[in-house]
Amino acid sequence: MSAKRPRGPKTPKQRDRAPWYRPELLDALVLAAWSLAFFRYWLTGKLFLLLHPDYMWLANGAGIVLLGLAVFKLTQGKRRPSYSGGGHTTLLPPQLSSLILLTIAVVALTYTPQAFASDTAIQRGVSDSLTLTRSQPQRFVRQTASEERTVIDWIRTLNVYPEPDAYTGQAVKLSGFVIHPQEWPEEYLMVSRFVLTCCAADAYPVGLPVQLAVSRQAYAPDSWLEIEGKMVTATINGQRQLTIEPTKLETIPEPRNPYEY
Amino acid sequence: MEKFSNGLTLFFSLLVEAIPFLLIGVAFSSLLLFFVNERTLIKLLPKSPLLGALAGSLMGVFFPVCECGNVPVARRLIVQGAPTSVSVGFLLAAPTINPVVFWATWVAFRGQPEIVFLRVGFTLLIAVTIAWVFSHQRDMRPLLQPIVARQMPKPRSAEPASPLLRSGTFLMQSSGTTLKMDDPVTQEMIASGPAKPVSVKLQLVLDNMVQEMKELGAVLIMGSAIAAFVQVAVPRDWILALGQNFITSILAMMLLAAVVSICSTVDSFFALSFAATFTTGAQLAFLVFGPMIDLKNIGLLLTVFKPRAIFYIFVLAAQLCFILTLFINFYVS
Repeated sequence: MSAKRPRGPKTPKQRDRAPWYRPELLDALVLAAWSLAFFRYWLTGKLFLLLHPDYMWLANGAGIVLLGLAVFKLTQGKRRPSYSGGGHTTLLPPQLSSLILLTIAVVALTYTPQAFASDTAIQRGVSDSLTLTRSQPQRFVRQTASEERTVIDWIRTLNVYPEPDAYTGQAVKLSGFVIHPQEWPEEYLMVSRFVLTCCAADAYPVGLPVQLAVSRQAYAPDSWLEIEGKMVTATINGQRQLTIEPTKLETIPEPRNPYEY
Repeated sequence: MEKFSNGLTLFFSLLVEAIPFLLIGVAFSSLLLFFVNERTLIKLLPKSPLLGALAGSLMGVFFPVCECGNVPVARRLIVQGAPTSVSVGFLLAAPTINPVVFWATWVAFRGQPEIVFLRVGFTLLIAVTIAWVFSHQRDMRPLLQPIVARQMPKPRSAEPASPLLRSGTFLMQSSGTTLKMDDPVTQEMIASGPAKPVSVKLQLVLDNMVQEMKELGAVLIMGSAIAAFVQVAVPRDWILALGQNFITSILAMMLLAAVVSICSTVDSFFALSFAATFTTGAQLAFLVFGPMIDLKNIGLLLTVFKPRAIFYIFVLAAQLCFILTLFINFYVS
């Protein structure tokens, strides 16, 4: 970027600063860094870990606009028109703002977001029911074949008709990550997914119990499983729950998009 | 380490969701600064206090600015002689009742649409009420900072007897009249008058966008950091104990709104991270009260009002907001 730096005779005002300091270049750098960070999340697909897909175009658009603004600042050079009206009052000194923005952009460029894992699920209270503070389903999709339902589809169905016996024998095929709930017996684990409505800030976990023939230690927490089997009712920790009885359990790599919506 | 990583992921998720809206917000506010003339708008406004309050509160639809951009606009409105009810209504409601904020709140609270509509409804109610109360003050000048009061159009009687005995900088006009240079209207004309070609104006718009983006982006970063920190570092039991109580949850969120000072364009994403743990009333309190009064805003308001007036606005807004959201907690949700 510095190669393109437009050079020209300095105005007297600029002379009392360090010779290399040009506010518009700092602005361009900040904008370009943020633009790059947006592009990085877009192109590496890590945006899936941060946002609901419906709003990704906004983030991608922001990356493009920021790039445009950076180019504008870079090419603006000396023909900058001056304007000092409008009563714009700043809370932070401009240099401090730039510094904060630049630092965070550098972190964004180096840090790779991680999908939430079982710790967070337990901390946020994983459940097989959507509590009242959760978003309420706005539509009720007609029953799909039971083996096509995802974890959240099952939870929504259960929410409408909670009696576990109603689903006995239905075929299941779904994937999710493993949680070992502390209070459950050794042969039960929970297969779980985080659900997003907007962005990772509102991710909440849902999950279904899986009845194993062996100890759950065979499946480490946070590993991803694809499970095929059928639904049964099991009494876990004194509570009757809809439970998966697997016929096939397969470890899979973490999917590119680990959330459900 | 796990927690730190989660916190960072949360933090960046808030930022990538909010920055596009911040960009839209600053783009609008910059365009308005250079392309809309408030004086023509003022002439169209109703003169009755109550209708004026309503009109002022709804003006945000045409001025999609967040609370950082609306104080300068409100200041220009006051200086150019808009009725008190209009400018106070605008000041309180415009940051919330505008298309950009409505859209952002919709994106964040798609699952709970009642929050979106209650936010708009409560803001309108509070803003109109306070603006109406303020309209009973005939002469606003005792409540304004002297520098703003002096710029207001003066009543006829206060006009000095001789046009020569006036302080200020003047330009001689052709017909023997003078143009007062330090008059805000003239300043405005000089700064952004029709003399400037559109290409120069567009450059100014982009320049202003970058400037506001930098300023508000930094505040957004700090707000997001606080939200992410609270989510991962404060024990969930504490938050639930505070957040599920009808009264403390509202008070806590109002305090948080005042301290965090996050821009209204993006505050719904901040509130969203408390959606699972706090009562609906508390989230509403955050969304309604935050854009009206917060720490950042007080600094800006002090450029227009005397502390006494800000105190009145603050107390009225806080009480109304508390009562309305408490009603929601008790009877609706």
